[in-house]
Amino acid sequence: MIKLENVSFKYENAYVFENLSLTVKDGEKVGIIGESGCGKSTLLKMIAGLNIPTSEEINVDGEKDPEGIIKKVSVVMQSPMLLPLSIIDNITMGHDHDEERIEKIIEAANLKKWTDSLPDGLNTYLGDRADELSGGQAQRIAIARAMFKDAGILLLDEPTSALDGENAASVLEAINRFTSDKTVIHVTHRREHLNGYDRIFMMKDGKLIEA
Amino acid sequence: MSVLLILIKRNKFWVAFSVLAALLSNLSQMFFANLIGKLVNNIESRSAITLSFIITAACFIVSNAFTLLLNQYVGRLTAEKMAHSLRMGYAKKLLERSLKEKYTLDTASAMSIAQNELSQANTYLSNTFFDITGMLFMAFLATVFLLFKNVFLTLVFLIPTFLILIYVFFSSRSLSGIVSKAQNEKNRMNKVAYSVIHAFYSVKIFGGEKLSMKAYNESFESWKKQWQKMGRRSALYNTLSGIMSMIPLLILLLVGALMVIRGDILLGTLIVFLYLQSSLTSAIMNLPNWLANFKVFTTNLSRIDIS
Repeated sequence: MIKLENVSFKYENAYVFENLSLTVKDGEKVGIIGESGCGKSTLLKMIAGLNIPTSEEINVDGEKDPEGIIKKVSVVMQSPMLLPLSIIDNITMGHDHDEERIEKIIEAANLKKWTDSLPDGLNTYLGDRADELSGGQAQRIAIARAMFKDAGILLLDEPTSALDGENAASVLEAINRFTSDKTVIHVTHRREHLNGYDRIFMMKDGKLIEA
Repeated sequence: MSVLLILIKRNKFWVAFSVLAALLSNLSQMFFANLIGKLVNNIESRSAITLSFIITAACFIVSNAFTLLLNQYVGRLTAEKMAHSLRMGYAKKLLERSLKEKYTLDTASAMSIAQNELSQANTYLSNTFFDITGMLFMAFLATVFLLFKNVFLTLVFLIPTFLILIYVFFSSRSLSGIVSKAQNEKNRMNKVAYSVIHAFYSVKIFGGEKLSMKAYNESFESWKKQWQKMGRRSALYNTLSGIMSMIPLLILLLVGALMVIRGDILLGTLIVFLYLQSSLTSAIMNLPNWLANFKVFTTNLSRIDIS
């Protein structure tokens, strides 16, 4: 469960939001929409433990310390933030893995067809090939990374905003495939991406209004 | 090299102007050296130094100062114009990229190129490129000038110089491969560092700290290995070319002195030869180092897309 009670966040002496409260139950899927710059990404980063609230605290699965919260969540951001390493290293981030599970993740993230076509497969080095990587491929690697971590909470920060229609659909399909049993908070400015979500909030003037 | 050609093409007026300024400056220096030679010859033959000679010498001093100033000013300005074309060309190319089609939001790579390759190429253009070009230009002009003055004495130092140039050519070729590898390793290392900064959130969320450090340390070790190899080889080649560059000077001194004793040439002529030959010697001495730095420059340029 995620619980925020009267949480505030200040950036350069101005409040991005003040006294904000939100409770998300286990397995619930919550969407947050709002215009660019309204603070929805800041809120998501706070829930992920990456931004520290100015006042009060947040509780994510019983964790209040940011270092502990980070371990409980997976995040897919607008930019995939890949490292100049192999595809497999970008997915596992150097953690131990078994081949069978990786195969399943690659399939679920819609990466299999592409990685099978590469001479070095999952060991393909991305450093010199970053420019050859499409936005969709990079974002699907980021999703595979989130799948590999297998945290109970998934935070999505406009994961398809830089993609065209076809790539966005493929990325959303990959996300929906592995989030059926997870708590999801999805921040986006496109409401149609939140079909089937339990609750949708509109963020405006630093407040969350249920839409 | 193609990026360098694009830069020259985009600044052709300024490049042509700086070549002209270098030509004027070098010619002025050579004629001044010739005048000094004449002065020595006059003293040796106990001839009177006329007023017109003194006026000519004064004119050459002024001309030397003016052309040197022009050469420095135009050279620096052209270098800065080329550096600006490079920076803006890269920025323009970045802006033209499509966000939707490609994963070109590779900010780490763009940051790394801007902070490293672009910065190093700019420094090289501003501080070194036109100085080296000017010195090589001077070496060439001095040789042509001396050929007109005395073919035999010029060939006396030119033949061993040519043999040394063959050595420099092959040693530089061998060095350029290592330099290119070392520079690529350095670029790779920088890119890893910038990627870690850029992907900081991902590294923290997915516990990739150890992997990031391992990747950075591996790239650092690869770079260090190549850099040490390059340093050793470069020092060896430079030392050898430095020693060898003394050979033409010694031969020139020996043969020239004999010719002066035999009365074939005057002492002033030999002084002009010794003075101008030094421009060739210093160019040869530094050639392996210059070529290695030029290779670093072109390797950096090859990673900056401005087409």
